[in-house]
Amino acid sequence: MILPPLKTEYVGDKGALFWLALKTGALTVITLGLYRFWMKTRLRRYYWSAIRPGGAPLEYTGTPWEKLLGFLTAVVVLAFYIGVVNLLLMFVSFSLFQGNFVAYAMSFVGVLPLIFFAQYRARRYVLARTRWRGIRFGLEPGAWGYAWRAAVHWLITLASLGILWPRMAFALEKYRVDRTFYGTVRLEQGGRWTMLLPAMKSLYSAAAISAVAGVMIWSSDNPMWALAFLLTGPWALYGMAKWRADSFRLLTGAKRMAGVQFQAQPRSGRVLGIYLGGYTLAYLCIVAAVVAVMFTLGMALAAGLSMNPQAILEGDFSSIPGWSATFFFVMGYFAIFVLWGVFTHVFVTLPLAQHFAEETEVLQPELLAKITQRARDEFAEAEGFADALDVGAAL
Amino acid sequence: MSDQDQNRLFAYYANGQDARWQRVEVQLAPAVHPDRLRLTLPDGAVEEWPLYVLRRLPDQAGRASILLSRSDDPLSRLSIRGKGPVDHIKKLAPDLLKRPPVENVGRMVKWGLGAIASVALIIFVLVPVMADQLAEFLPPEGEKALGDKTFEQIRVALNQAGAAPLPLCTAPAGTAALEEMRVRLNAEGDLPYPLQVHVLDHDLVNAFALPGGHVALFRGLIEAAETPEEVAAVLAHEIGHVAHRDPTRDALRSAGSIGVLGLLFGDFAGGTAVLFMANQLINASYSQAAEAGADEFAHEVLTDAEVSPGALGTMFARLRDKHGDAEGIIAHLASHPTMADRIEAARVAAEASGVETRPILSEAEWQEMRAICGERSYEALPEEAPETMADAQPEPVPDTPPHEVPEDVPSTPPVVGVDGREDANTRP
Repeated sequence: MILPPLKTEYVGDKGALFWLALKTGALTVITLGLYRFWMKTRLRRYYWSAIRPGGAPLEYTGTPWEKLLGFLTAVVVLAFYIGVVNLLLMFVSFSLFQGNFVAYAMSFVGVLPLIFFAQYRARRYVLARTRWRGIRFGLEPGAWGYAWRAAVHWLITLASLGILWPRMAFALEKYRVDRTFYGTVRLEQGGRWTMLLPAMKSLYSAAAISAVAGVMIWSSDNPMWALAFLLTGPWALYGMAKWRADSFRLLTGAKRMAGVQFQAQPRSGRVLGIYLGGYTLAYLCIVAAVVAVMFTLGMALAAGLSMNPQAILEGDFSSIPGWSATFFFVMGYFAIFVLWGVFTHVFVTLPLAQHFAEETEVLQPELLAKITQRARDEFAEAEGFADALDVGAAL
Repeated sequence: MSDQDQNRLFAYYANGQDARWQRVEVQLAPAVHPDRLRLTLPDGAVEEWPLYVLRRLPDQAGRASILLSRSDDPLSRLSIRGKGPVDHIKKLAPDLLKRPPVENVGRMVKWGLGAIASVALIIFVLVPVMADQLAEFLPPEGEKALGDKTFEQIRVALNQAGAAPLPLCTAPAGTAALEEMRVRLNAEGDLPYPLQVHVLDHDLVNAFALPGGHVALFRGLIEAAETPEEVAAVLAHEIGHVAHRDPTRDALRSAGSIGVLGLLFGDFAGGTAVLFMANQLINASYSQAAEAGADEFAHEVLTDAEVSPGALGTMFARLRDKHGDAEGIIAHLASHPTMADRIEAARVAAEASGVETRPILSEAEWQEMRAICGERSYEALPEEAPETMADAQPEPVPDTPPHEVPEDVPSTPPVVGVDGREDANTRP
């Protein structure tokens, strides 16, 4: 029996996500960051459950306790590295170079392979805790192999001034996808890296035009070159959105899962619109929030000062408005920080997830019935390294 | 709608064994088993789910749908849609929102303790030992660069406006008086870098030393002192720290421990680590030995400069009387638990020195020094400091009248706080 393609429903809701992100963000600040494991888990549950290929929601089954345990494990290992190595680097940097830039640079380069390692492990944990139609996903171990490949690919990409970016993107995606399972079935990334070249067209041309225009501004007086140079900015922005949409389309179209195929049609114009419109909206909301916070703070201060003039004259209590101002200042700072996260979730992350989900279909879904469950990947260390190094990306 | 209709609905079912998503007929609390859900699968097979094992997955998107699981089976799922059926299930199932027990508590405790132990070992043992060793080998140029960088960061952190560094006080006459004090103390000895004495325009009653020959006095400290000798004594004490390279050790320690602390708390609000570091350095709690060493250094320097070492004790006593021994969380000068011993040591040193003392500054010079911030001379450009509600710095225009504030300067001003200021010259 041949079934029609499964379209993906998206049931995420900006209002519900706003309250969830606000509540969990505030709790994270109040608990000095401890609640962040709960925040991330709860947000993931929401985002996953909003995506419903063929009406069946994705399910995230990771727990905050697992994340906390993984984090503690990573701290034991990383505290040594961060403490001792940073101290040594700082010493060398100030001894030999009279500045801390070298220390930061070396510290960053030293931690890079660890970041790739952490990213792969995080992906393994997240896939192991993701289900669809009751069946678990999974990722084979292979973090060190990923780390050195990623490091080499980055070097090559940097050496080629970014021209070989699609080669890296394809190779790393293939490494990850070829080790990914849905139930008992292994996924496979087909195609070649050169198929991604058209997705880079706009970025390549923006870079080429800005390079030529840059040289010409320097060597000729024609103001048209300056104009051309300025226009490559927005053009490059469009190029990034195009890369995002087209590379997703090409890579998804070339994935296989035991005969099951996929098709995605995200539009670069829509992606660009979400980025531009979303960040603009988030920014405006933050400005409004800052004004509101400043106003409240001013009122509170005024009230505080006018309420105890006697105490202030006596001297001993004069530090109260000072401390309360500090309190409001710190709380205002955190409030803005949390709100920025909340607004970007609502105006950028959710609309992007919605667009990519709604434009993706599962082909030959009748073959899914043969796929059976895989064993649970205990992986108690969870994504501790990614959490500790703060490279868990947005989600 | 009859009872029959309300209790029969269609749902989607995943058995947890294969990737089928099957449409099933559900009977809620059928007459034969009122405490169960009865599922009829497409192939005619029947499954019964007791109502008390039903759990609802939390934080799910979609208003009118729920995904049910069983407390006794981690894999099977039932997806129910529609407001009516969802509300009905909510009424029927008693433990819908019950959470599963937390697993791995033992391991969590073990690793938690392990993490605390390893962080404590690194911050309190490994990093200090390494920092003390490395400080000996840091060349003077490196030390100076470290100090310059840190001083800049501290000034930025102290200015609650945030953007520009806290202004330095540089009124020419006051600076000249300060310079005279420095020359008279003649405490530099064989420092491999020039000693730089700064006055920061802030109410804190405090002073601190940084690597590479920086010593900073806060305006609050100069205002709190009643004689120039007291300021000179504090200056000598801080120069003692510089000479013994205490701040260098401390800065290297922070370099190691800040990263570890950042790791623990996660940078959930960027920049907190920097604030913490600045605070750490200002309120640097040096070891008792380091404080005693700096005191001893100050006693010698003061004696050689024909100033009574007792001035250090007088200043400490003044701080103690104002803050009390335990309260001095702000001024590290005042925070030491053995304050009484130190006052006593200064008194003994004063008696033992038996020097003929002469004033370190003339009365006129002393008044100039107290007015060193009075001219509102700013090193930083005034327009760089944005005005915020928390910014209580006076208007940076020289002819602006002083702020009208109640007659008071807090005895223990906050590190970052708001308070009025008054013209130093009008103080009693």
